[in-house]
Amino acid sequence: MAVEEKTIEENSNWQKFWNGFKPYILALVIAFGISGAIIGILGYNIPKAYQTLLFTSFSSQRGFVETLKKFIPLTFATYAFAIPFRIKFFNIGGWGQMLFGGTITAIVGIGLAGLNLPAIIFIPILILSAMLAGALFALIAGFLKAYYNINPIISTIMLNFIAFYFVNFVATNAPWKAPQSGHPMTLKLPEAALLPKVFNQIHFGIVLVILAIIAIYYLMNKTVLGYEIKATGINPDASSVYGIKMKKTLMITFLIAGAMGGLGGGIEVMGVHSRLIEGFALTSGAQYGIFGILTALICQGKPLGVPLSAMFISILLVGADAMQRTLQVPVELVFLTQAIIVLMIVVLRRQAGGSYIE
Amino acid sequence: MGQLTEMLTQIISYTSIYALASLGIVIGGRTGVFNISGEGIMLASASAGFIAAYQTGSWFMGFVVGALMGGLFALILIYIHEKLKISQFILGITLVILGTGLSDLLYKTAIGVQLFAPEAPRVPDIRIPGLSNIPIISAIFNQDVIVYFTYIAVFIAFYIFYHTRIGLETRAIGEDPKAADVVGINVKLRRYVTTIIGGMFMGLAGAYLPLVVTGTYTTNISNGRGFMAIGIAIFASWRPERALLGSFIFAAIEVISFQQQLGASMFPYQFLLMLPFISVLLIMWLFNKKVEFPAALGKPYSRE
Repeated sequence: MAVEEKTIEENSNWQKFWNGFKPYILALVIAFGISGAIIGILGYNIPKAYQTLLFTSFSSQRGFVETLKKFIPLTFATYAFAIPFRIKFFNIGGWGQMLFGGTITAIVGIGLAGLNLPAIIFIPILILSAMLAGALFALIAGFLKAYYNINPIISTIMLNFIAFYFVNFVATNAPWKAPQSGHPMTLKLPEAALLPKVFNQIHFGIVLVILAIIAIYYLMNKTVLGYEIKATGINPDASSVYGIKMKKTLMITFLIAGAMGGLGGGIEVMGVHSRLIEGFALTSGAQYGIFGILTALICQGKPLGVPLSAMFISILLVGADAMQRTLQVPVELVFLTQAIIVLMIVVLRRQAGGSYIE
Repeated sequence: MGQLTEMLTQIISYTSIYALASLGIVIGGRTGVFNISGEGIMLASASAGFIAAYQTGSWFMGFVVGALMGGLFALILIYIHEKLKISQFILGITLVILGTGLSDLLYKTAIGVQLFAPEAPRVPDIRIPGLSNIPIISAIFNQDVIVYFTYIAVFIAFYIFYHTRIGLETRAIGEDPKAADVVGINVKLRRYVTTIIGGMFMGLAGAYLPLVVTGTYTTNISNGRGFMAIGIAIFASWRPERALLGSFIFAAIEVISFQQQLGASMFPYQFLLMLPFISVLLIMWLFNKKVEFPAALGKPYSRE
């Protein structure tokens, strides 16, 4: 008897596990099927293209480092969308928050250059400025929603453009502009402001991203605030009855989201480019902000799902770049694949009875 | 005077881009469907429209294919939304990526890298005799065919929405789909029709870019204008005629700041370029009560 019961229980657990994963697997099969067909129709070698797309990240150390370099900003961009998404608000402004955080980092970095601060003080100052800048920039959207009921989708799209032109302004005007540069960019940040390399390969941003993953997990699962965010997301009316202030929760989620986005932008400036440069938050020709949204939609914005799906998307991005380089398959194909993956996951999960209503 | 007329001519031509795109958003929005995928549609339609025009040698085919591409995107959005009630915003953002990827993929596949940028067949101009000779005013009457089409389209949309029964019914869906359903209006059908027509207008806006504005296709040709059109629709409180006015303002800022960029100016042109976006935020903030949205905008409707 007991043995039988156990197998049934195991079965149902397995069933649950499978039901949870089914949408993902089906979505991947469909998306890769469609993109495989396109690769075939265009006359490229399908197995070779897939091999490049999926395994470039693991075939060499350089490939893996490239993947991590994309993984770091992408994870931050994903949290920027994912956290307000937990209470069903859409922060499309992850990109703008990255840009604004990066720009302020450069302004502060160049401004403090004369003080000859040691790295141990300089870098934390810049990290904090990046987070603060992103957080305040995102707060505009949170505030407008909380007190004027302005849809954050609209306000964050507008803020994205404002941030974009702000980058351009700083990168083309004194005192920040680098003299004699064709492309808009600022002066180089002082040596002590740049993120050091760890393991001689990847910049310190990798440590910061791991700390951020732990911090967000802790915040969402082990704190009262995280509980309030979750409760608000499940049922905003009921949680307000229990004294959770909707406006406060809303603005806090935007603050955290913006801090993540801003830090992501600051890290790109301090760790990758050593300066503010127009187009610094782009990958494969598209903005991290948009990829962050897709990445968050794949994992429904769950705190631990974020790094997993960010890693998956980073692998695809690195693979797509390599595919273009070696096989001349247009890199844009991977945008298509990702859009289909997300569309399919959203659709299949909804068909399986998931709550994806807005 | 000549210079001013020239600038005004350019502004009015650019107005068409924004007017077609925002009209598309307004039309769909009137039945409660908020299609934010304009940027993706414009990119995909720019590419598909350019390829079609280039291959057939007919600018007209370019606009037809551009509109069809826009309609197809809109169909995907409304079909999935109606079937599964998945958020229009999630679908819209996904379609933006889809369009971004599709645009360059299509172009690279059909045309590839060429030494000289391939040129689109010219869209004919129409000069209204008499009026096109008066300075300044001539800017309005010396334009390509699509600009006149835009005027007509805005007028027709305005007329239908505010002076016909069918328009009143359609607007009713955007305000209260349930009530509209009760009095016997086919909510589902109207939502399909307006969304697809709206998508086609966005597609025309996309095709206008390579066929008229630049003369050739380039990566990211729409450069955020699909998102700006959302701002215009809000600025316009979802009224077609105000969308035309908003489009003119956005176009003027774009053209003026472009000239500032060329000349050495004391005023940083970047802040001029920020102006439309700041003004959308300010308008929504300061005139919060006056900005009217269709009440059911972005919300799914199901009968039970």
